[in-house]
Amino acid sequence: MTSEAIYEKLEEILKTVKPKMDPARISMDASLTTDLGIDSLSMLLLSLAIEHEFGFQFQTQEPFKTVREVVEYIEKTV
Amino acid sequence: MSNYFYDMIPAAEMAQLHYIPTVPAFLDWITTQWAERPALSDTVNTYSYAQMSERIACRRTLLQDLGLQKGDHVAIFDKNSVDAVESFLAVTSAGMVAVMLPAQLPAPAVIGCCAKFRAKALVVRDEFKQAVQGAPCPLISASELAQTPTPAAVVDKEEPAAIFFTGGTTGAPKGAVLPHRALMRGAFNGCFAPGSQLFGHVTIGFLPLTHVFGLIAGTLGKLMVGALWYSAEDMKATIGKLPVIRPTVLVLVPGLVEVLVGLTKMYGPQFLGGRLKTIISGAANVPPKLMEEFKQFNISVLAGYGMTEGANLTSGNADTDTRPTSVGKIYPEQEVKLVDGEIWFRGDNVFLGYYGDPEQTAATLTEDGWLKTGDLGRFDEDGFLYIVGRIKNIIVLPSGENISPESIEEPFYQYPAVRDCLVKEDVSGGQGVLAIEILPRPEAVDGKTPEEVEAYFKQVVEEVNATLPSTHRVAKFSIRKEDFKRTGSLKVSRNQN
Repeated sequence: MTSEAIYEKLEEILKTVKPKMDPARISMDASLTTDLGIDSLSMLLLSLAIEHEFGFQFQTQEPFKTVREVVEYIEKTV
Repeated sequence: MSNYFYDMIPAAEMAQLHYIPTVPAFLDWITTQWAERPALSDTVNTYSYAQMSERIACRRTLLQDLGLQKGDHVAIFDKNSVDAVESFLAVTSAGMVAVMLPAQLPAPAVIGCCAKFRAKALVVRDEFKQAVQGAPCPLISASELAQTPTPAAVVDKEEPAAIFFTGGTTGAPKGAVLPHRALMRGAFNGCFAPGSQLFGHVTIGFLPLTHVFGLIAGTLGKLMVGALWYSAEDMKATIGKLPVIRPTVLVLVPGLVEVLVGLTKMYGPQFLGGRLKTIISGAANVPPKLMEEFKQFNISVLAGYGMTEGANLTSGNADTDTRPTSVGKIYPEQEVKLVDGEIWFRGDNVFLGYYGDPEQTAATLTEDGWLKTGDLGRFDEDGFLYIVGRIKNIIVLPSGENISPESIEEPFYQYPAVRDCLVKEDVSGGQGVLAIEILPRPEAVDGKTPEEVEAYFKQVVEEVNATLPSTHRVAKFSIRKEDFKRTGSLKVSRNQN
């Protein structure tokens, strides 16, 4: 999958996990916490949704800071 | 005796359920009763009740080989694994006392706890073994089984069985010593749940086994009714397996209930396996909104109230639709009374005392066996209990007014935009006033400017104030950008310093 395709899919997941968030806030460089308001519980939900949609399991304990880091991790893994 | 809980269960099933006062007798009973049914599983290996019992007997041999005696303390340091459940049952059925060490404890604290609680052995998960080599007692690998079995001990229900850490939202951590009768009463109470059958459940050990709610309600109570219990060594990975495990009942805390609500909304009830009928939630207040959301999927939430010193839940509420803020009715065989508004209860679920701390024990347990909970409560006309606040948290304002911060926080939780809040006395202006810190639900503030957020919560404060007596009104408010400090059970800690 290209990083563009991953980003598009991730954008859809973020919109579902955070239905009331302004979608215009989502960008490659958006911070998961300060820009998108992802707290620890929504992070658990988000990572489960990503695993479900992309069909893999995260093998890292390192926290992701930006959308780009998540996209790069998925690109490397899938 | 309350019939509220008995009435949740069909009479024919209820007739098979018995309170069994010791762990060895319990183990004996479940092994005979449920012999070939699956008992414990990590999704790769599944053990029947008979196999589990045999494995536990072989684990007792390891304790015996070390020369341990009845009454000796054995610490257990593991994740929520099949090994941990079996190790707990091996130690307690050998008449020894299990000291349950939280898996997130750093290694030096584990070593310190072994010394403080005079552990004669430490049962440890293989991956943690290297870090705790300095423990002042022999190590037993949690994955190890001896070749030959050792019979269970004969124990009296009053003998100590386990020590659990408790600090709650205030105070330094203490070790609460629970006798066999208390563990088993808690397990018996853990069997009751509305909306589903008593026997044949499938459940998952999401909550820590080092917490009474996870071990007693979530595990022992479920084994008592012949359930299949799945381990949850990794929370996220196990949630991902929900469609395969297909649980019928779960014991959770509100934070986890919220995650499951989110998943159900995204992927439908099938993501939870499609069989889940009941969630038992404790440790913190369950927001009524969560209960309503689950109700749409025909899943009932049983809200409860309890404390480590009372071995699991003391009350449970199956009528959350009509009384969402109540913690329910008192479980069978427990006495309860209000003394100056404080909830006291008595029964075989009550602990023996805090390990090595007679002063705290005397302050908590009366000579005639009443446990002073430190919680303020009230009953409605139908006998449903409501928690009003905690005595230790009482704020005494300059006016002399005694105010329970929880009673002020409670109406704020009715607003979906309020994720959590904390009321304190603010003396920065020279005179004490009530101040509230609000942690907004992220989606409620998304896309709003700080001014809009401030204006919204100002309106909320004004609306709540309008419902409160003038002495109880909040004079200051602030909005938090970061989460509150939380306790091990995810409650907002009253001490944020």
